[in-house]
Amino acid sequence: EDSVPRQKVEIDNKIALERIRDTIKLDPALAWTETLAVTYPETIDVDVDDDLNRELAFYKQALHGANTARSLAAKHNLPFTRPADYFAEMVKSDAHMERIRQRLLDESASIKRSE
Amino acid sequence: DEEIFAPATKKPRNKQRVLLLSSRGITHRMRHLMNDLEVLLPHVKKDSKLDSKSQLHLLPELADLNNCNNTLYFEARRHEDLYLWAAKTPNGPSIKMHVQNVHTMDELKMTGNCLRGSRGLLSFDKAFDETEWGKLTKEVFTHIFGVPPQARKAKPFIDHILTFSILDDKIWFRNYQIIEKDPLQPNGPPQTSLVEIGPRFVLTPIRIFEGAFGGATVYSNPEFISPAAVRSALKREKGEKYVSRKH
Repeated sequence: EDSVPRQKVEIDNKIALERIRDTIKLDPALAWTETLAVTYPETIDVDVDDDLNRELAFYKQALHGANTARSLAAKHNLPFTRPADYFAEMVKSDAHMERIRQRLLDESASIKRSE
Repeated sequence: DEEIFAPATKKPRNKQRVLLLSSRGITHRMRHLMNDLEVLLPHVKKDSKLDSKSQLHLLPELADLNNCNNTLYFEARRHEDLYLWAAKTPNGPSIKMHVQNVHTMDELKMTGNCLRGSRGLLSFDKAFDETEWGKLTKEVFTHIFGVPPQARKAKPFIDHILTFSILDDKIWFRNYQIIEKDPLQPNGPPQTSLVEIGPRFVLTPIRIFEGAFGGATVYSNPEFISPAAVRSALKREKGEKYVSRKH
């Protein structure tokens, strides 16, 4: 009655994957400013369950990416930093940011109270 | 007048448009995640929910009608499991992934903010270049998540970065705001720091198909266990505990 555990078939058709990538590949002559993609020269090698170190590793990757991109942008004459007098709609609304601020204030207040 | 007929040497352009849609039966959290992506990617065209879960072959047609050459399709199952298809339409490939650990921008923990429609940087870690499926995924993600400069609603400055990292055979997504001034010393030397904007999610690749929403499987993840199987295993264990206590 015991069912034999079915082994999952692993498929990893490297030749096909490479061929497919070739068909969709972007033009190599494309300037960096068209995609804005950068590669982090390290792999993320931390314990998955260690939240703090994991997030730190992601942060480091993003920081490296931001700095690399800024020097690349300077090389390509791409405007990077937003001038202080440039205003436009943001992703999170002012009301939402206010709620975030209020929450931070509430949190610090409750910490002070308990001290 | 020969010059008029000479072909103009045009700079190559990165032309990408992404169709974003979901299946029926998505929960509010999944819907918020979709809205977050729509806000972050100005070259996205959002469409209404797809009526049927078995008629995925309609999607390339739908993308074509909307002048899109990429599709992001969120598929909800049993009102709790979320799958994401990232596909190049109409000729493929398509990548099917399982979405977990979703945190949306609405949650109040993430304090970053960025311009609506600013082009995000993309950062991939080295692990993407170490496997063939990783390289393909990186290429597809570069098309889908990279905002082309001539996107209609794109803003001319860069103030956030999307990171993709492979850890534990899963793809982790984060989005940070780039702050270039030290808030404590506004006039001091520029010092880059980051604040997370959100959303967050983790993608487990399941399969890569050769075509758009179909075709031969060229990669399958042997480690992937469907969430339904995980749940039923948990339930069975519970049931066995009861049975062994009874006898």
